[in-house]
Amino acid sequence: MGKSWLRAYILKRLLYAVIIAWGILTVTFVLVRVGPSSPADRYLANMTASGQDVSQIVEAIEARYGLDKPMYEQYVEYMGNLFQGKLGWSFSNSMPVIDLIKTHWIYSFQLILLSSIFAALVGVVVGVYSAVKQYTKTDYIATFFSFVGISLPNFWLGVMLILVFSVKLGLFKTYYDTGLPLFSLDNLKALVLPVMTLGTGMLAGYVRYTRSAMLDNLRKGFVTTARAKGLPERTVIGKHVFRNALLPLVTIVMFDLGSIVFGGAYLTEIVFGIPGLGQISFNAIFANDYPVVVAVTLIGTSIVLLVNLVTDVAYTYLDPRIRYD
Amino acid sequence: MTRRLRDIARKVGRPLYVNRRLVNYYWERTRRNKLAVLGLAFISFLILLGAVGPFCTLDPTLVDFEQKNLPPVGFTTVKSVYDIETDELASTEVRGIWKHPLGTDSKGRDMLAMIVSGARVSLLVGLIASGIAIVLGTIVGVLSAYLGGWADNVMMRFTDIMMTFPFFLLLVLIVFIFGPRLAFIVLAIGLTGWTGTARLVRSESLSLRTREFVMAARAMGASDGRIIFRHLVPNVISLIIVIATLSIPGVILAEAALSFIGLGDPTVASWGIILEAGQHSLDTAWWVAVEPGIMLFLTVLAFNFLGDGLRDAFDPKSNI
Repeated sequence: MGKSWLRAYILKRLLYAVIIAWGILTVTFVLVRVGPSSPADRYLANMTASGQDVSQIVEAIEARYGLDKPMYEQYVEYMGNLFQGKLGWSFSNSMPVIDLIKTHWIYSFQLILLSSIFAALVGVVVGVYSAVKQYTKTDYIATFFSFVGISLPNFWLGVMLILVFSVKLGLFKTYYDTGLPLFSLDNLKALVLPVMTLGTGMLAGYVRYTRSAMLDNLRKGFVTTARAKGLPERTVIGKHVFRNALLPLVTIVMFDLGSIVFGGAYLTEIVFGIPGLGQISFNAIFANDYPVVVAVTLIGTSIVLLVNLVTDVAYTYLDPRIRYD
Repeated sequence: MTRRLRDIARKVGRPLYVNRRLVNYYWERTRRNKLAVLGLAFISFLILLGAVGPFCTLDPTLVDFEQKNLPPVGFTTVKSVYDIETDELASTEVRGIWKHPLGTDSKGRDMLAMIVSGARVSLLVGLIASGIAIVLGTIVGVLSAYLGGWADNVMMRFTDIMMTFPFFLLLVLIVFIFGPRLAFIVLAIGLTGWTGTARLVRSESLSLRTREFVMAARAMGASDGRIIFRHLVPNVISLIIVIATLSIPGVILAEAALSFIGLGDPTVASWGIILEAGQHSLDTAWWVAVEPGIMLFLTVLAFNFLGDGLRDAFDPKSNI
C-alpha cells in the first residue's frame, strides 16, 4: 500500500481526462461542421439582412473562418485556437467570446453557488432525519415531497413563483435587476426566487441521496458495535453513519452538476433574466451567433470534466480502503 | 423484416412473456406500492387522453379573437375593454364558460384542446426518444460487456465523453445546429440520452457473462448472436424496464424545456410551447402558463412513482 499506486492512478486519471477533453472537442467540431448550416451561412444571413453586398463578404468570411482550407487543417486550427483560449468572435456583441464570458460568468456562479448551499444544507438535514426516522410519518412526508421536488419542471416552478410572489403579491421584482452591486442585500433579495427555482430540484435530489446513503450504513455491523459499546445515539449517527454516507453522497452530487444543475441554471437564468452564461447562450441562439453557443457548451463540459477528476482523486485520499487498478 | 423483428421481440421479452407466474409475482410486488399504482393509473389515463382525446375536443388551432383570454370555468378575471363611443377604458368581469372549460389563450384557442393534443405530443416524444436511447444503450452495454478487450475500452471511453457533456447544453447545441424540427429533437434526445443505460446494462451483463448458463450455451456451440439475444438481453429486460420508466420523464422535460426557450418545433403545440406563450401573459391570463405546467408536473411525477415502484419490485434484495 505505498504511495506509488496512488501516483500511478492519478496519472492514469489525468491521461483519461486529456483523452476525454480531446474527444469532447472533436465531437463538438464534427457537430458544427456536419450541421446543415455552417457558421458562415448564419453570419452571412445576418450580414445580408443588414443590407450589405453578399458577393463581397462571402470570401472575407470564408477566409476569416478558414472554411476555404481543407478539413484537417480546419480541425488543427480549431484545436490550436482553443488551446490558446481563443473562443472566437461574437459578432452580436462585437467582442471576443472570451471577454463576454469573463463579464458574465459571475452571475451564473453566484446563482449555482447559492442554490447549492441552500439545497445541500436543507437536503442533507432532512435526508438524515428521514433515514433515522425511517417508516415514520415524517419519513413518508419527506419522501413524498422529494418526489414532488424532482418532478417539478424547474422552469415552470420559476414562472409560478413569479406569478405568485411578483405578479400577485408584489413582493419581488419580476426580473433580476442587473444594476445591483454583487455583494449587497438587495442582490441577495433579487436572488431569492431564482435560488428557490434552481434549488428545489437539487434539494429534493439531496434528500433522496442522503436518505439512501444513510440507510445503507445504518444496518452495518460497525453501527451495532458503536451502539453496543454505549455510544450516545448522536455520536453513532453523526460520526459513524453520516461520515460513511458522505463519500458516496459527494460523488452523486458531483455527478448531478452536469446533468441537472447546469441545465437548470440555464433555464432559471432565462426565466428571471439573469445575465449569466445561460442567458448569453440563449441570446446568441436568436442572433445566430455560433461561437457563443459552442463556447458555453464547452465551458460547461470542461467544468464537469475537472470536477469529475478532482472528485475521483479526492476520493482516493479520503477513503484509504479504495484501491483502483 | 417485421417477422424478424417480432421474433427478436418475442425472444427478448420471453422471460416475462411466457412466464406468467413471474409477471404475477412482479405485479403483486408493484401493487403493494400505492403511489406506483396511482402513477400507472395516471399514465393509462394520459395514454387514453392522447389516443382518443383529440377526436373529442375542439380544434386546438382554431383562433377566435372574440373569445380570447377566457378564464377556466369557476374563475373570473377583470378585462379592460376600450369603448369607442365614450373613449374610455371600461372594466368588465369575465367568467369562464363551459364551451371552454379550461379557458382560452391570447388568441382565443381552446386550452383544453391544446392540453389534450399536447399530451399526445409529450407522450410520443417521451416514448420514442427514450425508446431510441434505451435500444442504443442496451446495444452498446451488452456488446461492450460481451466483447470485452479493446472494443469495450473504445465504447466505454466514448460513453465517458458523451457523459461529460452536460445533457441539456449538448441538446441545445445540437438543436441549434440542426434546426428545431420535432422529429429531429426526438432523435437528438435519443442519440444523447443513452449513456446511463449503456453503463448500467454493461455492468449487469458483465456479471451475467460469467454465469453457468452462458458458459453452458457456449460449450454447446451457441453463436455469439444467440448468446447475446437469447441469454444476455432477456436477463437485463427488467433492468431496462425500470430505466425506461425512469428516463421517460427526463425526456419529456427536455423537450418541454427546449420548447420553453424557443428551440421547440413551432408547428407542434406541445406543453412546452404553450407554457412559453403563457409565460408572457402572466398578468392577463395566468392559466395559460399554469395548466400545461400542472400536466407536465403530474406526468413526470407519475412516471417517477411508477419507476420507483418497479425498481423495488424487481429488486430481489428489497423486502416489500
